[in-house]
Amino acid sequence: MDLDALTAELRERVKRKREAGVYGPEVAKALEAPLPGGAPLPTDDGGDPLVALAAAVESEVAYDPRSRKPFIGPALTFARRALIGILRWYLHEIVHRQDRINEAALRALRVLSERESADIVGRVEALEEAKRREAIHQGAVHMDYELFAERFGGLESQVREQAERFVRRFAGCKRVLDIGSGRGTFLTLCKERGIGAYGVDLEERLVRRASDAGLEAYRLDAEEHLRSLPDGALDGIFAVHFAEHVLPGHLFEILRECKRTLRSGAYCIMATPNPSTLTVGADSFWLDPTHRKPLPPEALRFYLQISGFEPVEIETYNPSETRLSEDGLSGAALANVRLLNQTLFGDRDYAVIGRKP
Amino acid sequence: MRSWGYESEAFAVEAKREVADQVLPYRRLFRTVTPDDHLLMHFGLGDETYDRLAALPSRQALVYHNITPPEFFDGLNPHAAHHARKGRAQLRALATRVPLGIGVSEFNRRALEAAGFARTAVVPILVDWKRYDVAPDPEVLARWRGPQTNLLFVGRIAPNKRQDQLVRLLAYYRRCIDPAARLHLVGSYRDQPQYHARLHALARELGLGDAVHFAGGVSASALAAYYATASVFVSLSEHEGFAMPLLEAFRYRVPVVARDAGAVAETAGGAAIVLREGDLAVYAEAAGVIVERASLRERLIGLGERRLQAFSHEAVAAGLRSALGI
Repeated sequence: MDLDALTAELRERVKRKREAGVYGPEVAKALEAPLPGGAPLPTDDGGDPLVALAAAVESEVAYDPRSRKPFIGPALTFARRALIGILRWYLHEIVHRQDRINEAALRALRVLSERESADIVGRVEALEEAKRREAIHQGAVHMDYELFAERFGGLESQVREQAERFVRRFAGCKRVLDIGSGRGTFLTLCKERGIGAYGVDLEERLVRRASDAGLEAYRLDAEEHLRSLPDGALDGIFAVHFAEHVLPGHLFEILRECKRTLRSGAYCIMATPNPSTLTVGADSFWLDPTHRKPLPPEALRFYLQISGFEPVEIETYNPSETRLSEDGLSGAALANVRLLNQTLFGDRDYAVIGRKP
Repeated sequence: MRSWGYESEAFAVEAKREVADQVLPYRRLFRTVTPDDHLLMHFGLGDETYDRLAALPSRQALVYHNITPPEFFDGLNPHAAHHARKGRAQLRALATRVPLGIGVSEFNRRALEAAGFARTAVVPILVDWKRYDVAPDPEVLARWRGPQTNLLFVGRIAPNKRQDQLVRLLAYYRRCIDPAARLHLVGSYRDQPQYHARLHALARELGLGDAVHFAGGVSASALAAYYATASVFVSLSEHEGFAMPLLEAFRYRVPVVARDAGAVAETAGGAAIVLREGDLAVYAEAAGVIVERASLRERLIGLGERRLQAFSHEAVAAGLRSALGI
């Protein structure tokens, strides 16, 4: 057999697969995979430990007291037999009890191993995997969010206009928290007006951008951050397009923390898309796959009220560009078109403005 | 030995149940041995008993089955590493007291020479070929027989046998050659629980959970069945004093791909594809070519069968006689 020729052929095969991409980096990584750690397995020699245990429990104990030694053999044999005879009555009880224990233990192990919970780890892993996938699908985390924001996100001018609308409420404040501070538009505005403000956001790139611009921003989870603050530590909370990204129960918890961490008389302002305008509630709200639930203005007002804010105002803004023409109409027709305009083409955003008593 | 007219007995510290009735307890030896007796000491791990045996009045020879280098066990099995170190030191001490060292392979003979034995010889293991004349276990056959490629390795689960490399090789095989291929690792894992557990973890990590089958130590009929269902025998072992499973594979007509290590090449004697490659992919491709090309497979099987003649009773007996000068 020409081993050299064969080896050359084998190398050529490997090379071709590498070139074709079949033998790619993933396979190369598998070939270099380090031996992972792991605890020793409890099985013995390929056998089922239960079977081995059963065999041990059922095995007969055989002891041959005879000695084959020359001369002293018979005496040894006699002595061993005598000793066994003397101890038999005492040992019998102990051995009998141990037998009962062994058999019960074996039965118990069998029952335990046959229970459905035997594969509990596998089932938990399957559930965790399902949960992980659900989270991925729910949040569409594999979507390019930057590209999405570019296409559907508000223009910087609009975002600034919106921030400007509310910033006056925080005049003279020393410590205002901007939840979901994003590109730092609100923070910039505060800085310009001498208001002490800082932001938290989960998007690392945005946080870095804000920090680079000389603003105070941290990559923190809003709820965790609020929980870490003492009572009355803040004199304002501003959260634009945040409430629609969290589940209702979660929102309650966050609002309770907002109330606790604000000083008396401070404002909590939350802005969110206005689903009462049907072109928002039925259409544009759902563009963003990370939106959880639309919040009608009265619902969010109610949430703030039960969290202990009083009074709570609603302010709508950002009117729709499209409207049905009301020119030349009068009477019932005008009233109907107005109602339609309000329902279909009303203000696209609203804010609830709650004050801590 | 008995067939040559000698009185001959086997003594052991511990004997497997199947042969217990043919073996005498080693203590008996100390009482009965005479200066005219030939004492063949089979040495494969360190034990104080050898020092006492070497002091017995008799004509002595040490049959060396090799000791795995302790480095393989470091970090995995300190107990095994300790015994391996002890065994190697003991071999050097015995070299000055035992006049003849017999290696079961040329590889082992050289190790004896290096340890300081004055006179050395090679006598292969005397294989009890009748042991292999059993019908393959029907349950094992039914479970694994099928169109899939079965890669097989037989040997204790041990770090020097590099079953971890076989698991990695399977990862390549399934992704680049045949996605349905399986790997059967036959051999006891009782002595290496840590390594065994880590092999399991590796297989899981590489997504090969069901494709790697740890058969454990098996009966002769189950072993026959594993060979019967094997497409290729693959060995990536890095230390073999003799490599008995290669001969088993030849016996059961299974073509062999092996890494050249220790006594592998000399035991294979040109009847297997023995490679000295760094890239596991080349070994996998070798197995792939064997599966794909019937002519190569048949050629290897034929060579293997012919190779077995070198390990016949007659051949080994002649070697032993000349080594002992009897």
